[in-house]
Amino acid sequence: MLLDTHDVKELSANLAEMDEIKGRSLWADARNRFKRNRAAMVSTFILIGIVIFSFVGPYLAAWSNEEIDWSVLGKVKELGAPSWSNGHYFGTDDLGRDLFARVVQGTQISLMVGVVGALIAVLVGTTYGAVAGYFGGRIDSVMMRIVDILIAMPFMFVLILLLVVFGRSVFMLFVGVGLISWLDMSRIVRGQTLTIKNKEFVEAAQAMGVSHFKIIFRHIIPNLLGVVAVFATQLVPLMILTESFISFLGLGVQEPATSWGALINEGAATMQYGTLWQLLFPLAFFIVSLFCFFFIGDGLRDALDPKDR
Amino acid sequence: MINFILRRLAIAIPTLLLLIVITFVLMYSAPGGPFTSERPLPPQVLANIEAKYGLNQPLWRQIVTYIWGIVTEFDFGPSFQYKDRTVNDVIAQGFPVTLTYGFLSFIVAVAVGVTLGVVAAIRQNTLIDYLAVGTSIGAQVLPNFVMAPILVLTFTLWLGWLPGGGWEGGKIEYLILPVIALSTSYMASIARITRSSMLEVLNSNFIRTARAKGIPERQIIIGHALKPSLLPVISYLGPTFVAMITGSVVIDVYFSTGGIGQMFVNSALSRDYSVMMGVTILMGGLTITFNLIVDILYAWIDPKIRL
Repeated sequence: MLLDTHDVKELSANLAEMDEIKGRSLWADARNRFKRNRAAMVSTFILIGIVIFSFVGPYLAAWSNEEIDWSVLGKVKELGAPSWSNGHYFGTDDLGRDLFARVVQGTQISLMVGVVGALIAVLVGTTYGAVAGYFGGRIDSVMMRIVDILIAMPFMFVLILLLVVFGRSVFMLFVGVGLISWLDMSRIVRGQTLTIKNKEFVEAAQAMGVSHFKIIFRHIIPNLLGVVAVFATQLVPLMILTESFISFLGLGVQEPATSWGALINEGAATMQYGTLWQLLFPLAFFIVSLFCFFFIGDGLRDALDPKDR
Repeated sequence: MINFILRRLAIAIPTLLLLIVITFVLMYSAPGGPFTSERPLPPQVLANIEAKYGLNQPLWRQIVTYIWGIVTEFDFGPSFQYKDRTVNDVIAQGFPVTLTYGFLSFIVAVAVGVTLGVVAAIRQNTLIDYLAVGTSIGAQVLPNFVMAPILVLTFTLWLGWLPGGGWEGGKIEYLILPVIALSTSYMASIARITRSSMLEVLNSNFIRTARAKGIPERQIIIGHALKPSLLPVISYLGPTFVAMITGSVVIDVYFSTGGIGQMFVNSALSRDYSVMMGVTILMGGLTITFNLIVDILYAWIDPKIRL
């Protein structure tokens, strides 16, 4: 025997160990940098907690969001305060409805609007921007002029007009938020596409006769995902702000459905009667969540910024 | 330069026209006409009234008439809810109020924001810097509709220093809270932008040269560093202005100032479409004009921009 089996085993063990040493991908690097960012990590955990709260909350609540507690009605200031004994953990609102259940529901709707807005921005904005940037020339200038024109609209007023004309519903909110969210995204993606489309790998794909469609979706967009992800996380709080703004004016979702903005509005309208909890609970959820989103957005941007390697 | 302005106008004018068409079509497609009431009118009467207001004409004719009215006479037509007043009356009543505190807020946001940013940059990594950065992060999550209740809670309900609403012809004590509520978050953004661009400028070569020549620090900052570091701030003025216009709606409603935003929300709640349209178009026109001015200003100040 030329080789001792023991040596072979050792060698294979060594080789196996060598396999462990992998090249660091961009994403692995980004993940490590993100994990080192303490504010972003804490924010992530808090946000996960809030999301879980919004899903589990209905099972914890002793009351539904529509039910009126008649024993409290008219004496909200004395009896409606937060308490464990009567099941109103966050107190009641002015009509004797359980604030805990309403905050849970408001959290669901506000988060949903934010996520849907960002999702539409990712799908529509990325495709639009990548197509405009990839084809360039006249197609590009026409497509981007359209974006220029749309972006200059006073969208908040148009959105309110839309809600008034077609009726206030969560669906219309999604449509309205979706209409505006993709504009900035398409600009950013177009700019990135312009820098990528002249790279060798795109040229190679073109030379091999890959279709335009496939080049955009298989070669260009995957290389943009970092930028898209960063901008999408920054969009979520902006969408939540937009929705809260409209709901604060009383023009957003319709009762009994509610959202953070609507709850803050109710709380602000009744605070002079001394029922401060109606303002503070929704406000706390709103502020903490937005803080988390901003920190996560910042953390992601730092993590995915290639300059920082 | 003239070429540049013309090119910007080539975007601004179609934008405004498209805005008018969109709002008009939205209103046109809304269920129920302006004369639908609980007691339906006899068809002949309805037809006569609609003919009087030109509502029996095809859509494009109505749009052209409407645009023509705005362009030639600045006439936004009658209100649908109140027979005795026109959209122009509503605007004339509410617009000066909004303009007064909106303009003040804009000045406050820019002046305080820039000062805070410059001070934070000069005293980098001191207590003042941390304070400025901290407040600007905090103010990001305190939009005007959160600031307004918090301010009223503190200064009206607890301290009792200032009135929590009303206008009274723009007396100073009625102005303070709306201006603070509207300007805070933009002030913070401006401070952050100024700080980072000032830091960048202060580390650049021409500042080092100026220092090496022994120019006093005060003169370096005011004479050399301030102008280039304000460029990003100027490009932020457009969005700030737009955000303040929309933000004023909340301020109007919350502080009952009687400004244009309150009129807009009231007309939205009572489905007074013509007032909504008029306000939307007016605000859109303002936004577009202001963005145009900022663009031109930017091109004029920044020598590097290509026209």
